[in-house]
Amino acid sequence: MQLVPTQHYLILAAVLFCLGMLGVLVRRNALVVFMCVELMLNAANLTFLAFARERGDVTGHLSAFFIIAVAAAEAAVGLAIVIAVFRSRGTVNIDELHTMKH
Amino acid sequence: MPSFSIQDFMPIFPAAILAVGAMALLLSEAFLVSVPHASASRGYQAVIGVITAAFAGTVAFHNAFEDPRVVLQGFAVLDPFSSFVTVVVAVTVGLAVLLSAGFLKHRNAERGEFYALMLFAAAGMSLLALSAEFITLFVNLEVLSVATYALTAYLRRGTRPAEAGFKYFILGAFSGALLLYGAALLYGATGTTKLAGMAEVLRAASSGDKAWLVYCGMVLVATGFAFKVAAVPFHMWTPDVYEGAPTPVTALMSAGVKAAAFVALIRVFVALAPGLGPQVPFVLFGGLALLTMVAGNLMALPQRNVKRMLAYSSVAHAGYVLLGVTALFAPAAGTEGHGMGVLSASPLLGQVPASAHADIYKAILFYLLGYAVTTIGSFGVLAALERREDETRGTTWDLDRFAGLAHSKPGWAIAMAACMLSLGGIPPTVGFMGKLLVFRAAVDAGLLGLAIVGVLTSAAAAYYYLRVVVYMFMRNAAEGAAVPERHWQTDVALAVATAGVILLGILPGPVTAWLTQATMLALR
Repeated sequence: MQLVPTQHYLILAAVLFCLGMLGVLVRRNALVVFMCVELMLNAANLTFLAFARERGDVTGHLSAFFIIAVAAAEAAVGLAIVIAVFRSRGTVNIDELHTMKH
Repeated sequence: MPSFSIQDFMPIFPAAILAVGAMALLLSEAFLVSVPHASASRGYQAVIGVITAAFAGTVAFHNAFEDPRVVLQGFAVLDPFSSFVTVVVAVTVGLAVLLSAGFLKHRNAERGEFYALMLFAAAGMSLLALSAEFITLFVNLEVLSVATYALTAYLRRGTRPAEAGFKYFILGAFSGALLLYGAALLYGATGTTKLAGMAEVLRAASSGDKAWLVYCGMVLVATGFAFKVAAVPFHMWTPDVYEGAPTPVTALMSAGVKAAAFVALIRVFVALAPGLGPQVPFVLFGGLALLTMVAGNLMALPQRNVKRMLAYSSVAHAGYVLLGVTALFAPAAGTEGHGMGVLSASPLLGQVPASAHADIYKAILFYLLGYAVTTIGSFGVLAALERREDETRGTTWDLDRFAGLAHSKPGWAIAMAACMLSLGGIPPTVGFMGKLLVFRAAVDAGLLGLAIVGVLTSAAAAYYYLRVVVYMFMRNAAEGAAVPERHWQTDVALAVATAGVILLGILPGPVTAWLTQATMLALR
């Protein structure tokens, strides 16, 4: 059985990471920006897992579990903040978040 | 089967105490509120917070006299370096809790979870300072970040807190993801996430066909940390977040979060730099230090909003600490790394002696302590002066609010003046001693160019710090200006911070003498 080589996973992860980074920089909807950050975290996860499989090492697998747990906690607080933003001004467009520009 | 002794758990005791205190506060909110009249006064909650912080600080102080060693199978370290920062964090969070007591009471927003979040953040900072493995480090970074996101957006009035919380959250999560992806690449190159194990195989990995993994990983990790310590050009979140967050939280962020992030950065790069050759971190941090010192001070100059000015000042101060960090990686004379303009190490001063490193650690730690005390004091005065009615307007922190403060509130004016002098690096304050130590360490390491930039920028900074003092002592208050209420907790916190600023400035001897013999890292 032919296994998918590690490089393919790494390239996929790098593409996901760059897409996420680009999304954070250019997208204007707060929820989409938040999803892009999650994409970046999952790219890191995939990289950990690809290397862990290549080396037959459990550290990478364990790391992925921790990252998933942390990302979930972060999402809980992050979504609560997005809701607070929506309640205070009725929009989640980050171009309109400029109360404090001088 | 690994076995742990009590010795392994010693470094995490302070964090455990902070976490237990935080949970007690959460429970107090759940159970005591149902008792009649208990909800009327929540003054005891701040007291619990302060006692917890004091207890954790005492335990950390005790730990600081232990020999440096790696514990928990290489996942953490116990060394005076991390213990000292835990003491700084404990002092910071204790004072921030005291400041919050008056601040929240004034806004009818006093709740156990606010103090609990502060203590959880402090536990994260303490653990971040002693992490010696990338996943541990990431988890602790997130513990402290998630707590501070929630604290930033805690007040539900107006649009500022939620907006600040959102900006902090997105950029914090973004920088965490950069750091994590960098860690994943380093794991790929070395096969381990422990700093000690990485350091062993990094030299081989960075010269083989996996070199690109190592270099990309290091740059990403450095960028992640640069966001956390607010180094230019990764500082753009700082002014908005610092301005929008409740003022005691801003104090905690600028003192504690920054100190913990710097310690983690130093630990990672000191452990890994030998495998890379010191040029890579030297150029990275030298460039960041130069940009941060210059840009941070320049952006603070035109600010009339004192809170925003202090935010930019916090960026500038990160630059001075980065100058110290750069000195750690300064190439010895006669080796590669010359001819980089202002970054180059001066060949006149000869080989960097091994003892110079101890001086640099001492300088960085003393600077972090001094900055923590000073920034708590200055944000404390700001928090005391804020009025609830102004929250939705942008003029709450205008310089005019400080006019005539010397007449209406001489105690606060003296505290603010001491803090401003200290931030500006003017004797006899702790800020002056800190700058002196950092600049001297940089010159000893041969970084003449950067040290001169540092001295010039801090001279320029004196302008905007002294402007606040001039307003307080030489202008008269506007007609009908309301006099803010006093709270004893705020006054205690300000008194402690001011005493720290002046005493450490006049008598730094005991602290620096102790730091000289104790600043050892378990991993290098």
